[in-house]
Amino acid sequence: MAKDEALKRHKTDRARRDPLGANTAIARKLKEYYGGLVTDEVPDRFSDLLSRLEAAESPNKKTS
Amino acid sequence: MAQSATFKTDLLGAIPALRAFAMSLAQNADKADDLVQETLMKAWDKQSSFQPGTNLKAWLFTILRNVFYSQMRKRGREVQDSDGVMTARLAMHPDQEGSLDLKDFQAALEMLPPDQREAIILIGASGFSYEEAADICDCAVGTMKSRVSRARDRLTKILGIVGEADFGPDAINTQVLGSSQP
Repeated sequence: MAKDEALKRHKTDRARRDPLGANTAIARKLKEYYGGLVTDEVPDRFSDLLSRLEAAESPNKKTS
Repeated sequence: MAQSATFKTDLLGAIPALRAFAMSLAQNADKADDLVQETLMKAWDKQSSFQPGTNLKAWLFTILRNVFYSQMRKRGREVQDSDGVMTARLAMHPDQEGSLDLKDFQAALEMLPPDQREAIILIGASGFSYEEAADICDCAVGTMKSRVSRARDRLTKILGIVGEADFGPDAINTQVLGSSQP
């Protein structure tokens, strides 16, 4: 019981501190939207770019 | 060189998050990827100013955000008539109770002013604390909170959500608690 009370209080505190709320329709939609973006396949251009930057930094060394 | 190899690996690991944040800011895939490229180049140059052990993602997000806003400034602020757009498209789907289409949500997100959009993305999706997000955006924690709050209110209005009750607490609870039911 005391545990429930504590949890309830914790949730209320959290809601007061957090204007978004963890489980509102908007919060869930946001995560869905962003989740789609994060799992999007990353084009090779970025790893190529980093390899070029790394190679340029050590012109005399072979980078693996 | 071992150090920069680690740095490179860490940067590679951060790219999906960077792209997602860039897309949220720019709302355009080509612009977003250009932003990420510029960010990676800057990050590489500033490598020595990154303190290992601190939050690399936050550091990169700060760089990306600065790149984004300085580009916006250079382009002379490509119209920021969010209020006009807002009025015209307010409450797009007042009749769709309980179902919120992802495309509608994205469209609504685009209508937010950039400062509100980035605030709600950083807090609601990227997993940053208010303190971290305030750091990234170089503003006070209270400012961050009020931006998130205004963003939420605007989204609620645009999407015609009359209140959380519209989405049916039962439906939400079933989704969340479904697996724990015997």
